[in-house]
Amino acid sequence: MLIRSLQHRIAVLFVGLLVLVMALILVLVSRSNEHTIAAEMEQGLSTGAHVFTRLIEQNQRQLEITATVLSADFGFREAVATQDRPTIRSVLSNHGLRIGAQVMMVIDSGGRLIASVQPSGSAPDASPFPDMLAIAGAQGKSSDFKQLKDGRLYQIVLVPISAPKFIAWVAMGFPVDDRWARDLSEITGLSISVIHHDHDSIALLASSLDGSQRKAVPTGLLPLLRENTSEILSLDGEHYQIRQIPLGHEASVILQRSLEKAEAPFRAMQTALWTIVLGGIAMFVVGSIIFARRIARPVNHLAEVARRIQDGDYTHPIPRLPPDEIGQLALSFDHMREGIAAREDKILKLAYEDSLTGLPNRTFFLEAFERHPKNEPATIAIFNLERFGMINNALGHPIGDQLLHEVGVRLAHFTPGGALAARLWVDEFAFLLEGADETVVKSFAEALLDTMRAPILLEGQRLDVDGSLGIALYPKDGRDITTLMRRAELAMYSAKRRHAGFAFAADADSDPPHEQLSLLGEMRDALIRHEFVVYYQPKLNLISGKIVGAEALLRWQHPGRGLLAPQDFIPFAEKTGFIREITPWLLENVASQAERWRGDGLRLALSINISAIDLLNSDLVDQMRRLVTLRKVPAGGLYLEITESALMAEPELALAHLAELAALGFKLSIDDYGSGQASLAYLKTLPVHELKIDQTFIRSVINSPKDSAIVRSTIVLCHELGLSVVAEGAETLDILDWLRKNDCDLVQGYAIARPMPAGEIPVWIEAFERKGVA
Amino acid sequence: MARVAWFAVLMLVSFHAWAGKIEAHVVTPAGMPVEDAAVVLEPVVGTVIQEHTTAKIEQRDREFIPYVTVVQTGTAIEFPNRDPFKHHVYSFSQAKIFEIKLYAGKPARPVVFDKPGEVALGCNIHDWMEAYILVVNSSYFAKTNSKGVAHIIDVPSGRYRLRYWHPLQKSILAPHEIEIGDTLIRLEQRMDISPRIAKPKPPADAGTY
Repeated sequence: MLIRSLQHRIAVLFVGLLVLVMALILVLVSRSNEHTIAAEMEQGLSTGAHVFTRLIEQNQRQLEITATVLSADFGFREAVATQDRPTIRSVLSNHGLRIGAQVMMVIDSGGRLIASVQPSGSAPDASPFPDMLAIAGAQGKSSDFKQLKDGRLYQIVLVPISAPKFIAWVAMGFPVDDRWARDLSEITGLSISVIHHDHDSIALLASSLDGSQRKAVPTGLLPLLRENTSEILSLDGEHYQIRQIPLGHEASVILQRSLEKAEAPFRAMQTALWTIVLGGIAMFVVGSIIFARRIARPVNHLAEVARRIQDGDYTHPIPRLPPDEIGQLALSFDHMREGIAAREDKILKLAYEDSLTGLPNRTFFLEAFERHPKNEPATIAIFNLERFGMINNALGHPIGDQLLHEVGVRLAHFTPGGALAARLWVDEFAFLLEGADETVVKSFAEALLDTMRAPILLEGQRLDVDGSLGIALYPKDGRDITTLMRRAELAMYSAKRRHAGFAFAADADSDPPHEQLSLLGEMRDALIRHEFVVYYQPKLNLISGKIVGAEALLRWQHPGRGLLAPQDFIPFAEKTGFIREITPWLLENVASQAERWRGDGLRLALSINISAIDLLNSDLVDQMRRLVTLRKVPAGGLYLEITESALMAEPELALAHLAELAALGFKLSIDDYGSGQASLAYLKTLPVHELKIDQTFIRSVINSPKDSAIVRSTIVLCHELGLSVVAEGAETLDILDWLRKNDCDLVQGYAIARPMPAGEIPVWIEAFERKGVA
Repeated sequence: MARVAWFAVLMLVSFHAWAGKIEAHVVTPAGMPVEDAAVVLEPVVGTVIQEHTTAKIEQRDREFIPYVTVVQTGTAIEFPNRDPFKHHVYSFSQAKIFEIKLYAGKPARPVVFDKPGEVALGCNIHDWMEAYILVVNSSYFAKTNSKGVAHIIDVPSGRYRLRYWHPLQKSILAPHEIEIGDTLIRLEQRMDISPRIAKPKPPADAGTY
């Protein structure tokens, strides 16, 4: 089991160690006790047995001495010597009383009983103790333990009676009874049982035990003696280690040492030890739990605070703790909490606030929409400042920033009823409104536009600000924020195109394909990620045979779809108005390229395609003006190619802008001439310098007499009007020859070169001019 | 009885002129000399003249001296006490039961041993004191010296019953008759005796402890 809690781990570790140590001590003590007890038992038994043996010997000697003294009694001797039986008996009973012998016998030298005094029930034997007599005959005296006919055991001492020559034996018997056993038991410290043992029965003759233990002796002993094992004798619940000592020739003494008595002092010690151990462990458990709590509680508290911080709640300060390590940690932790809170505030600000205007930024806006309840309608509105680029370029970035700031302030104040205003980027702002009621939204839009139209004074300059608003309704126009914002954006461009002030997404376009919506986002990203690259297609001057210019063609290095040609995305950019973002970038890019090439000594007239939207955008003129002032590129080095249709949308404004551009010195070129409805008569009124004949005519000049007639007459007519003519789509050398013969000025097409990256141009031109056109 | 006595007197008178003697060697079966063995010649016929009438067994240094005394029946034996303390001489032997209770010096009367047989003497207050008296119906007897040799001289010729005796003898040797002439008869007798075990005796100055 894995214990995760520090508190428990500390407690378990400490208590576990203590238990281990205590267990070791207990094991050691109990093993040592066992050894000691075993040794004690053995020693007690040995000592007891030794003492017992010595006591028996002493006792025997004592009895012998007593008997000897008695046998030397003159009267006794006289009675025996004179064979006076009544006197002998009388003397025997008297002397037996003197010395405590219960059996007294006088036996003649032939072994026959002369006289005896015995307890009742013990019939005298005519020739008693022949074995003892034999020993006494040899050794002068003899003693043994004998079981007499009364069933009791006696210690018999046989000594001679001398007068002074040996005349008879006197035998004296002392009872071996319970008292005898108890006396010896007291001295030896062992329990003593005297038994008569033959093969399958044990008769208990005397014992220091009493009661049930005494009764249990024969049955308990029998199996032990029969198998001659040193097993433990169990008597009525008490256990004895035993030792058998022969007592004479007929009896045995069983010395018993009580295990329980030997163990008693150790048991007491063990009980005390257990009490101490268990008490100690209990105290230790309590102590270590308290200790662990004191450690773990602040740690747990810190962990709790850390969890809150993890959840973003920095408001709970950590209470002061004692100034120990954990207190220090808590203090540092609290500083950290404050630090994180402060930094997160700042980060949130950075992450969610637009630093210029103080408004929430795009991220915040998106998240705000995500937070919006899904089942409640809402309105997304996107507001774009008109002519911000122009103001920025004309008055400089500081003014532009101030303008944006001012707009931000206005918008911040203009947020009715839960509306959220955010700055999406440069000059684009967004609103999130509760509800999707069109009339409410419409009045909001009008009020907003009114507010914004109020002139702004910046550094003494009065600026008229205007903007367009695109509105998408949730959930009617889309369910996700991406769709809603794209549609609002499209609506905004629509409003801008139509100078309508604001437009609803539903009115702006029939649902643009979803992929186009996403394309719009991708284009925006492409601009940021520099996925747009500019390719250049060289233009050949047919008269000089030199490359005099190149047309800048936008390519999109799409991360998923590879290199995309302009026709794959420009029409959509024009349609959505995003071209307004692309063209300034393209102008900037081409101008700086021209500047670099000029620096390298390569003078090329670079043509840039300008869309109708660009042309109608007054920012274009401002940007072009800025370009010529900032770049070391003469305005005449840049050709702006305009399609006929671009001129047709709003002829007056287009014409005004063209006039301004022409006045700045830029060359203007009519692109794709012949594909639209423009007439040369109309072109005559424009400040145009060049005319590019549509490639559909050029491709068929060889095969189609009609087309060749049109091209030929157009060239002539243009020359008449003072315009130079560029032929597009010259794919073969035949066409090239034809154009040269028909006095076309410039030509571009695969016959000369395909569009190529700017880096390849200088090398290509060098190679081309070395070998010329084939 | 009277006739026997008469015969005895007759015999002694008639053979007196041809007096003989014997030299007896008593040895153990192992050939070691046996001291204090009594050698007794009892005439087969005739009576024995009472020759010896007194004898003396001293108590000296808490011992009976001598250890063995052979006397003719009817001899009175004195028990003079040479020790500075008293003795209590007794006998429970069938031949003569007597006791001389604690006395010092010479007892008032000697003890007359009027029956043949052996008498074991003891002192009631000195257990180790032991002496034997062999009372015989003869005046021809001797006891062996330390070399196990005994001489009986001036034995009138005739037929005698030869008897050996020792207080520690293991068995009673059967008497046998011999003819005594005027020549020296050398006898050799084997006798199995128990070793004389001195009973424990306290040192002489026992009074000091």
